Amino acid sequence: MDNPTGLAYLAAGIGSGLAIIGGGLGIGKLAASAMEGIARQPNASGEIRGAMIVAAGLIEGATLFALVIMILLVIK
Amino acid sequence: MMLGALLLAVALAAAPQAHETPSPAAPVAVETAPASSPSAADAESHAATPPAAEAHAPADEGHGGAAEILMHHVTDEAAYRPFGLPFIFPGKHLFFLIFVMGLVIVAARVSIAGYKNGAPTGIGSAVETLVVFVRDEIAMKNIGHDGAKFTPLLLSFFFFILFAALFGLVPFTGTSTGNLSVTLALASISFVAQQYAGISKYGVAGHFKNLVPHGLPAPLLLVMIPIEILGMFTKPFALMIRLFANMLAGHMMITALLMLVPLSAQISQTLGIIMIPISLGMALFIMCLEVLVAFIQAYVFTLFSAIFIGMYAHPSH
Repeated sequence: MDNPTGLAYLAAGIGSGLAIIGGGLGIGKLAASAMEGIARQPNASGEIRGAMIVAAGLIEGATLFALVIMILLVIK
Repeated sequence: MMLGALLLAVALAAAPQAHETPSPAAPVAVETAPASSPSAADAESHAATPPAAEAHAPADEGHGGAAEILMHHVTDEAAYRPFGLPFIFPGKHLFFLIFVMGLVIVAARVSIAGYKNGAPTGIGSAVETLVVFVRDEIAMKNIGHDGAKFTPLLLSFFFFILFAALFGLVPFTGTSTGNLSVTLALASISFVAQQYAGISKYGVAGHFKNLVPHGLPAPLLLVMIPIEILGMFTKPFALMIRLFANMLAGHMMITALLMLVPLSAQISQTLGIIMIPISLGMALFIMCLEVLVAFIQAYVFTLFSAIFIGMYAHPSH
């Protein structure tokens, strides 16, 4: 390979895109279910929102692990 | 503003020559730029560049290409001059860490001093709302009756992360929580608090026995014990990465969007001028989003710390 740095940039770009697809799908599905739950049971909106933020934080954390690896690939 | 964008464009246009050290022709190209026969690459990089003499000054300061400006914006500086003052501080993030710590302490003292006959006045009213929210909605709800013991720690987490993130949005400052070492320290404090919650209540042996539910079949213990011990360290690790990546990503986004102007000015000057309102609008949007993210991250870090403390203080049986 002539330029391994270029391959690292390519890997970081493709990888961050894939990670975002996963994270976006996860949080989107979560938000859809939470909205549905709130629409069916408006009294429980506070509890549903709290549980949604906790789950969203966990999904976001997993996505960010992947993104940090991408940043490490680029600045290495 | 336009002048600033154009100056940045000049700096960027000058960058390729300044950083192509392996090819000896590059520095020569700068020297001979006003001469009559520039090469093809030379002509391209000078498309947005007025006289070569002007291009020299920013290049000599060590500013590189777009990626380098981006990284310079978010990474630490070993020798930092705070606000251009005539003294050097060992570290940009260290300076703002200490600065924000002082700010939090002063803000807390001012709000406590503002209490008259048991009722808050001025800034104290706003702070009290947040304090009551953290105590009732985060600490008491997730830790239970032990929550009062951990409320001061959780409040320190909340206000430090909030102040650091909001202060980092002020121009010419830095976000100390955008440094992995700072979030490592915060997550370590959270880790110690989690272990303390379990050990102070059940003792060392009891705490480790509580990691796995009672009455599991022996073959399952072989799997469960390593997983739980790993989970013990993964929890603060996730806290560390989450805060760091959120603080870093927002600032990188703002810088990258502002960088659109000089990058398109490199292609043509008209395109650069067209890009100014688009770029500023998008950067302003992300800036507003960052204010929201500051509150959300302060809330999420505090909430997860409280949940994990509650997990060790009240293990499942």
